[in-house]
Amino acid sequence: MTATTAELETITAAKIIDARGAACPGPLLEAKKGMGTVALGDVIEIWSTDPVTKTDISAWSAKVGHDFLGVVPADGYDRVLVIRRK
Amino acid sequence: MADTEKLVFMVTHGPDDPELATIPFVMAAAALASDVDVVMGFQADGVRLVATGVAADVQAPEFPPLAKLLADVQELGGLLLVCGPCLKSRGITPEDLVPGAQVVAAGRFIAEITSATNSLVY
Repeated sequence: MTATTAELETITAAKIIDARGAACPGPLLEAKKGMGTVALGDVIEIWSTDPVTKTDISAWSAKVGHDFLGVVPADGYDRVLVIRRK
Repeated sequence: MADTEKLVFMVTHGPDDPELATIPFVMAAAALASDVDVVMGFQADGVRLVATGVAADVQAPEFPPLAKLLADVQELGGLLLVCGPCLKSRGITPEDLVPGAQVVAAGRFIAEITSATNSLVY
């Protein structure tokens, strides 16, 4: 992760995916579906209450070729930001 | 090395073990979401999971319902191969299976496993 939380908070996502309450692999599958709806270079933001989602999405991004930007802690959930690269 | 990665998940546990019945579907769905081709092979009591309606009654703690995961795997393009003798011994007919499930024998499983990047047995 290269961006600071303050930097991440300035980013406006092209799509927000609310996966709060979903169990593994729900947030990942929602991210996969959501990624197909935005343009290359756009940011998607996945909201998740599952604490392992951030590491899961990070690993998935590296695997499939997207850029994992980082995580912004929110009120009881994480905001996970990824740039679509393929 | 093939351009496309492929994983084979062999499923041998049925509704009586919800966790071991569910985890291969979790892994398969995650693999498909990661652009990895997936073959799910059902043997022994695992064949019950792809009989129509059975997944609706399988729910492991802290995991999504099996019916949801099965639908995800189908939607994302996972291939469902089912052991013919295992079905027959349980009185399950090919017509009882969920759409897209294919009845096969050992030779097809071997072909899929030997051409895969890796295989996992549950």
